[in-house]
Amino acid sequence: MRKIAVLTMLAFCTAMMFSSLAFSARKTIIKIGINAPLTGDIPKVGEGSKYAAQMWLEDIEKAGGLEVGGKKYEVELVIEDNESKAESAVKANTKMITQDDVLAIVGPQSSKQAVPAGEVANKYKTVMISPWSTNPSTTLDRPYVFRGCFLDPFQGPVVANFITEEFGFTKAAVLYDVASDYPKGLAEVFKQAWEDKHGPGSVVAYESFTTKDTDFSSQLTKIVKSGAEVLFTPQYYNEVPLIVSQAKNLGWTGPIVGSDSWGSAETVELCGEDCYGLFFSSHYAAAGAKGATKAFIDRYEKTYGYIPDDVAALTWDALRLAQQAIQDAGKLTGKIEKDREAVRDALAQIKDFDGITGKMTFTEEGDPIKCAVIVRINHQGEYEFYGSSCP
Amino acid sequence: MGILQKFKQMFSTVPMLGWFLGILAAVLIEYFWGYDYISYYLGLPKIPVLFGALIMLKEPVMIPGALAYDLIVYVIPVLAVAKLSSFITNPGAALLEKLPLWLSAVIHLVCFYAILHLWAGINDYRVLVVKLTLVSIILTVSVNVINGYQGEFSCSHPGFMALGAYVSSILTLVLFTNDKIFGTALLPPALGPYLFPLVLVAGGAAAAIGSLAVAIPSFRTRGDYLAIISLAFMFIVKSAVENLNIIGGARGMGGQPDLAPLPVIFFWTMLCIWVIHNFVTSILGKALNTVRDDEAAAESMTVKTRKTKMTAFMFGAFWAGVAGGLFAHVLTYINPGMFSINRLAEILAMVYFGGLNSIVGSIVGAVSINVLGEALRPLELFKWIIIPLILIFVMIFRPYGLISFTEINAKKLLEAKHKRQQGVSP
Repeated sequence: MRKIAVLTMLAFCTAMMFSSLAFSARKTIIKIGINAPLTGDIPKVGEGSKYAAQMWLEDIEKAGGLEVGGKKYEVELVIEDNESKAESAVKANTKMITQDDVLAIVGPQSSKQAVPAGEVANKYKTVMISPWSTNPSTTLDRPYVFRGCFLDPFQGPVVANFITEEFGFTKAAVLYDVASDYPKGLAEVFKQAWEDKHGPGSVVAYESFTTKDTDFSSQLTKIVKSGAEVLFTPQYYNEVPLIVSQAKNLGWTGPIVGSDSWGSAETVELCGEDCYGLFFSSHYAAAGAKGATKAFIDRYEKTYGYIPDDVAALTWDALRLAQQAIQDAGKLTGKIEKDREAVRDALAQIKDFDGITGKMTFTEEGDPIKCAVIVRINHQGEYEFYGSSCP
Repeated sequence: MGILQKFKQMFSTVPMLGWFLGILAAVLIEYFWGYDYISYYLGLPKIPVLFGALIMLKEPVMIPGALAYDLIVYVIPVLAVAKLSSFITNPGAALLEKLPLWLSAVIHLVCFYAILHLWAGINDYRVLVVKLTLVSIILTVSVNVINGYQGEFSCSHPGFMALGAYVSSILTLVLFTNDKIFGTALLPPALGPYLFPLVLVAGGAAAAIGSLAVAIPSFRTRGDYLAIISLAFMFIVKSAVENLNIIGGARGMGGQPDLAPLPVIFFWTMLCIWVIHNFVTSILGKALNTVRDDEAAAESMTVKTRKTKMTAFMFGAFWAGVAGGLFAHVLTYINPGMFSINRLAEILAMVYFGGLNSIVGSIVGAVSINVLGEALRPLELFKWIIIPLILIFVMIFRPYGLISFTEINAKKLLEAKHKRQQGVSP
């Protein structure tokens, strides 16, 4: 027994030692990581990101790979589920960077995952593009972290200006979720912008609730009584229908305006006719889109059976940005650290990138300068382009 | 059964030190030849990070390669070296046996850490998984004090963890970092690693004081009442943090300095296991068990039940706070949403899976739930079907968890094995 064991060990060792010409023959594959919430609170967002990524990969495969510096490379997607949890997003990023050797990461979508995950990407000097995270600290002081959307401090004033110009109102009410980072941030920015315009006290009701609340009648009663002319509620697709229908039942007759979190296809599906005619600010409008945007929407709808929401469109743009940066990097050395750095430098220099959600140029911080779109939910329940506002 | 028995017989002469040597050999093989030779020839893209589980689930074509890798790198070297080296390791273990038990245990732990460090160091993803697993061990062992040894059903552990995480984060941010919330650092950042233990203790103390809010009103009652009060406490802490804009509110708090590398976390985990082991085997621990089994009888046997319960509860909360502090400094970001009902479910799953009233059980529970959670990651949604199913089966077939009501016997674990063998076959 002992002899056999020793012999097998020896055999293995000698076999390994005499065949050292090997490891440089491993192929260079371009790997792109996708860090998306496939399970957890917002699986629809994860699904949209995954589908957009798969469409992108299809295109690359049709072209026979990604051409960088005159050479075609095979491309692979590494899709990781972050369970909509911060620590899971950190684990997923660490895994993709250190184990899968990805060249760039697209995701995570929500800020509560993108902020800690961005720390990891920056630490390992790997480009990360968060398509949907609007929290300023995602990219702040992190040269390797970029984003594909505008920030809350831009969106808040856009909505305030739109309401003022469109309706000429001077008294607004705000209803938001105090326990969730995005609605809270945006509500604050909106309040600030509105009061700058119409003087202090012009936000006549500033009401909050907590995540997973479903009864908003006490807040809405206050809002109705406050004499506000417009209600701004930057909530997600699961709350918007409840808020809108309860407001109507309590006698609210003014317009209700939302933000880019309304953009999911589910909003109208759950809300029905109550939401027709309402406005929200977003990254793009699906109905009446033209050119590349229309091509993307049609293809997505044909493959997956529903109109893509803004997350899918932003993910698509982020992937195209990553692709552009990899191609601009000139050539791949096969040494992953060097290539990541080259991709980062190329990405920072992209000017006037023509995405389906608008033209983008990155600032020093890695935030894009791009336009916001005002969307109207028309009477067929489609998201229709109404106007746009550029910085 | 015969083969298993024979197998067991064959390796019964290997002391703990021998297993360490075997694992060390495996890790060294992986370290030097894993990437360039073994995984290359087996057609694997890289060293399989968690024994190949991830790659096997993602690409079934790789299953033979990954299994062969495990066999060549882990199974064969560990078994062979452990068995073959027993002629040196047994005298070695005998020599260590002459030392005081604590010294021998420390030497073994140092060896174990060295191996763990080497193994994890091959890939940073492993380091992160090991770190979070160790933090989970502290959490599980501490919740076992309350839910196991004390026999209550407490749901406030995420709340204690949040208190520890926030207090220690605030301290490190105020003291050692220049950040937006608290301004410039009060102390030179170089002092950070030295004062970090104090910061963690402060976090733990905050959690322990917070636990009084649950303990004082609820310990006049038993059973369900504590569960409800502690659940409420968890939500109070979460809502309070969400509404405190000064510490980030719902947006969370980031930028903690990276003061929790692997050795620090390992040290704290071992300290926690040692202290809690001593606690539950002390007179106070025995008193705690009597309170669990029959409070009236314990009272009549001069056990101060109220004081015993309070002490144990605060003790458990203290370690949850320490775990929270470590957790915050591993992720370098916290938000109140992390310390909610999901976390509670995770903690309870770990403790009931591993086993009540047993430190070994807690460790097994924490490690298996964490490793399973990572290994099944490629399955996405199905992961959330498989893990609960496993839990259900454990609850059906072993209602008290995998390993319950057993304690570590360090002496027996570390002793040399040749003497016993001589006893069996003279």
